[in-house]
Amino acid sequence: MAFVNLQNVTYQYPLTKTPALQNINLQINEGEFVAIVGPNGAGKSTLCYALAGFVPHFFKGEISGTIEVADKESSKSTLDEWVLNVGLAFQNPFNQISGAKYTVFEEIAFGLENIGVPREEMKSRVEDAMALTGIRDLADRSPYSLSGGQQQRVALTSILVMQPRLLVLDEPTSQMDPIGTREVFGTIRKMAEDGMTVVLVEHKMEWIAQFADRVVALKDGSVLLEGKPNEVLTSTLLAENGFGISRYTSTAREGKKQGLWKKENLPVTLDEAVEGFKHNA
Amino acid sequence: MHERLSFHIKRDSLIHRLNPLTKLALVLALVVVAFTAPWYWTPHILLLLAIIPLSMLGRVFPEFFKTATRLILPAATFLFLMQAFFQPIGEDVIFKFYFLDITQESLMFAFRNAMRVFVMVSTFTLFLLTTHPSELMSDLTRRGLPGQFAYVIISTLQILPQMQAKAQTIIAAQRSRGLDTESTFLKRAGSVLPLVGPLVFGSLVEVEERAIAIEARGFTSKHAKTSLHEIPDLASDKFIRWVLLALVILSIAANLWLS
Repeated sequence: MAFVNLQNVTYQYPLTKTPALQNINLQINEGEFVAIVGPNGAGKSTLCYALAGFVPHFFKGEISGTIEVADKESSKSTLDEWVLNVGLAFQNPFNQISGAKYTVFEEIAFGLENIGVPREEMKSRVEDAMALTGIRDLADRSPYSLSGGQQQRVALTSILVMQPRLLVLDEPTSQMDPIGTREVFGTIRKMAEDGMTVVLVEHKMEWIAQFADRVVALKDGSVLLEGKPNEVLTSTLLAENGFGISRYTSTAREGKKQGLWKKENLPVTLDEAVEGFKHNA
Repeated sequence: MHERLSFHIKRDSLIHRLNPLTKLALVLALVVVAFTAPWYWTPHILLLLAIIPLSMLGRVFPEFFKTATRLILPAATFLFLMQAFFQPIGEDVIFKFYFLDITQESLMFAFRNAMRVFVMVSTFTLFLLTTHPSELMSDLTRRGLPGQFAYVIISTLQILPQMQAKAQTIIAAQRSRGLDTESTFLKRAGSVLPLVGPLVFGSLVEVEERAIAIEARGFTSKHAKTSLHEIPDLASDKFIRWVLLALVILSIAANLWLS
C-alpha cells in the first residue's frame, strides 16, 4: 500500500460554508517527490495541514474520509505523535521562529529538545542538518537578525533535523533568491532520493518540472489533474483554469499557433524551450 | 533596532558560572533579609558590602552602576521624598514647608525604605546582567517548571522588540499615506487608532501560525524534554543555597524575636 493514502477526504473549516477540500483521493509512494500547484484558495495549504495532522486536530472543523501516513490513520492518532512522522514547514518564515531561542543553533535544536533527543546526538544532528541546507555560518546569529530567505532556510532546517518520513513544504522558498531556491530544491531532491517522501506546494513551475516526480493540480478543493510534471504543467486545462503557467510554456503555445513550434510537447523550462526552438531551425 | 530584550552581558566570572537557581536564591535571600532584618543599617550594609562587591566579582560593575542608578535612583528618590514628607511619625521637626514637615524619624524611615527598594532592584539587576534568560529557563524547566511557562517568558522577551519594530513599520506606512503624527496632541492621539488594528490583529494571526510551527516541532510531545546546553549545578551551588536559606531563616527569626 502507498506510504501516503488519502481516501475521499472532504474537509470544511469551522464557520465556513464551502468545503476547503472536496473528495480528495491521493496516493504517494515512499521517497516520491510530489508538487502541488493551484490558484489562490484552491486548498493547497489546507491539504498540507491535512497531511501534517493540523486538519482536523488543530483547526477542528468537519472532516470525512481517511488520511493515512506510514500505515497510521490521522483521526486515530494524536497531533504530538503525528508530527514525529510528518514535518511541516510553511511560507512565512518569521512566524516559524519559535521565539524561545537566542541563536540559530539553539533554534534548530528546539524540536529535538522537545522530543527528548540526548544532548550529544542532538548536537551532531543539528550540525548535519545545517551543513545540508548550507547555513553553518549562521549558527551563532540571532534568528531574528536574519533575512527572509535565511529565515526560510532556518525554518526548513528546523524541520529536516527532526528527520520526518514525510516532509510537507508550503512554498518554502518564496523569499529566496534564484540561487538559494536552486540550492534548496537540490537539497530536497536529494532527501527524496534518500527515501524521504516530499509534498511541496510551489508556484515556480520551472523548478517543479526539474525536480518533482509528479504534479497534482488543485482547483476549488478538488484534484483537477495529476501526472508527470511535463504533462500536467503544459496542459491546456491549467491555462483555462487560472493556474500560473511557465512563461516558456506560454511562449511555445503561442509559437505553435504561429507555426513556430513544431514539436508535439510544450516546454516548461528554459532549456526545453531552447531545445525545441532549435529543433525548428 | 534591538535584537532582543535582555540585560545579559556575556562574560566569564565566578558569578556568571553560578547555577541560575543559586543566583535567583541569592536575589530572593538578599531582598528578604533587607526587608526583615531588625537592624536599621542592614539594607545599607548589604548594598555596600554584598551587592556592590558581587557586581565587581561578576565583572559587570560599570554596567551594574549605570543600570542601577538609571533604573532606581529616580524611583527611590521619589519614594524617599514622599515618605519623608508624609510619614506622620516623630516629634522633632527639622524642616517645614507650609503644612508639610519632616521629622528626624520620618527622615530615617524614608531613608531605610528607599534603601530597601534600592537593594531589591539592584540585586535583580545584577541577576539579569549575569544570567542568560534561556539558561535560567532551561534550568528551571529541568527542575520541573512547565515548558509552556518557560516558553511564554522567553518568547515574550524576544517578541516584544519585534512588535516594536513592526509598530514602527506600520507608523511609517501610515505616514507615507498622509497620517498626521506630528501636530497637536489630540490629532496624534487619534492617529494611534489606525496603528492598533494592524498591530493587534496581525499579532493574533501570527500567534496561530507560531502555534502551528512549534507544534510541528513537537512542543506538546509527552516525551521528557532534553536540553541542548548543560547547565552545571555543583556541590558549591547547593552549599551556597543552604547558607542563603539559613540567612533568611535567621533574619526572619530575629525580626520576630526582637519586635
